[in-house]
Amino acid sequence: MSRFPSVDWFDEVRAVFNADDSYRGAGGGTCNCTAGMKIGDDIFVLTFEGIECSRAVVADEAALDDVDFYLDMPRGDWLEMVKNIAANGSADLHHTLNTLDLDREDGLATSHHGDQYREDLFFRYNQTLQFFFNASARIKSEYA
Amino acid sequence: MSEAVDTANDYELDLGWMDRTGPWNTQASQGKNGLTLADIQIGEYGDPPVESDNQTGRPRGAASRDSTYRIGAYAVRSKSEIWLDNASFLYEEALQRQWSSATDVPWHTIEPLPDDVEQAECQLATFLTEVEFVAGDVPARWVSLTTPDFLEPRQVLLAQVMDESRHMDVFRKRALANGGGLMQATGATSGFVGSIDLSRDFTEMSSRLHVSGEGAVLTLFRMGELMAQNEAEKVIYRLCAQDEARHVAFGVMHMRYMSEAAPERREEIHCYLDEAEGGLIGAANPVGQLTPTSESMAIILGGGKENFDDGMNKIIAIRQRQLREYKKRVVSAGFGDRFESGRSKVDEMIERAAA
Repeated sequence: MSRFPSVDWFDEVRAVFNADDSYRGAGGGTCNCTAGMKIGDDIFVLTFEGIECSRAVVADEAALDDVDFYLDMPRGDWLEMVKNIAANGSADLHHTLNTLDLDREDGLATSHHGDQYREDLFFRYNQTLQFFFNASARIKSEYA
Repeated sequence: MSEAVDTANDYELDLGWMDRTGPWNTQASQGKNGLTLADIQIGEYGDPPVESDNQTGRPRGAASRDSTYRIGAYAVRSKSEIWLDNASFLYEEALQRQWSSATDVPWHTIEPLPDDVEQAECQLATFLTEVEFVAGDVPARWVSLTTPDFLEPRQVLLAQVMDESRHMDVFRKRALANGGGLMQATGATSGFVGSIDLSRDFTEMSSRLHVSGEGAVLTLFRMGELMAQNEAEKVIYRLCAQDEARHVAFGVMHMRYMSEAAPERREEIHCYLDEAEGGLIGAANPVGQLTPTSESMAIILGGGKENFDDGMNKIIAIRQRQLREYKKRVVSAGFGDRFESGRSKVDEMIERAAA
């Protein structure tokens, strides 16, 4: 059992995500980007290469300068999202990444660099990112 | 005695074709993602000409034939007219991220909706079917006008045609899947959307279709995911948005290349953008002026006719976002000076949308 948020938690999700071929079809598939996760004050950077999420590391605010985009929510909202996924097996209608992005005044996905071409990767790979977080329903989590 | 005609002495093998090859001893190696288009861009095979005189359909790198007649009226023969640096990457991405509207959408999750919401869903589906018709037809025409020497962008455009074909069928399926049907055609194809097909130049077409038009539709798809009434609609809109984002990426990267490779055409491209930005507030943009389509979206977002105003407020917020994203894409494409000089009216549009 891993605690959310932590590198161990992301590594467990990565293991499930990388091992399941079903995430590579149905609109999933090759995905190349670096995505930051700003969970309250905690920051992680995930690297997606080809059909895998190859790395998850803890990072600091400066690291967000280099990612293509990052997802930024207060810790409580992150917890609500991952708990919703755990309870339903996948995000329900109100907790998908895109819905959270449009439903929030400040959005969910953003960047330091402001380059929309790179920010658009959040849209281009949205199903893969959703598959990734949905995979978290298949691990046992505890919440910080 | 056999009655078969003995031809052994009449013909000799002509193996002269074996000496007519492109660069030989070529050995492409696959990378981490398999043998991709980028992996075979090696040597002369990977080197498109700046100007192409190939009018015969000869694959790039193949040996030429004498006395071959012309088969293609290729209007696009200058690299800067169509090139982008990541075309092979986008093509592989398009191939690997395909989906099926028949089996990847959980159609069983669609349940009866209130009549006004179902009618609004069907109106939106009708509009999107119309729009995607244009988005498929137009790039297909430009593929046929482009020399085979620029195969990478051609391949991306062909993949786009497949994407748009799927979008056309998935929204038609949605309209027919829940007790409703298609609504009255909105006429979008005779407005700004239809005018894309009047473009006389590929970059003109791409700035209108990929950057302005598909950028707007990308926002619309994302909004569709937000306002989905069930998992099937969530998936439809999310997957369409992914495809659309790839098409937008094509346009942004082409404009970026064009800006650097043919700076003498920048003013011309600014003129295309002037026109395209007019379309952002036109009736063909469903989050622009009040049309049956934007009304239907407000009904869906609000959850029914009685909450129309709530829905419209959400549309206005998303419209601002659509315009901001458009602006940032144009900046990313290398044409940010139009905002600094005041030539673009997008900032005013954003302010008006907020008022």
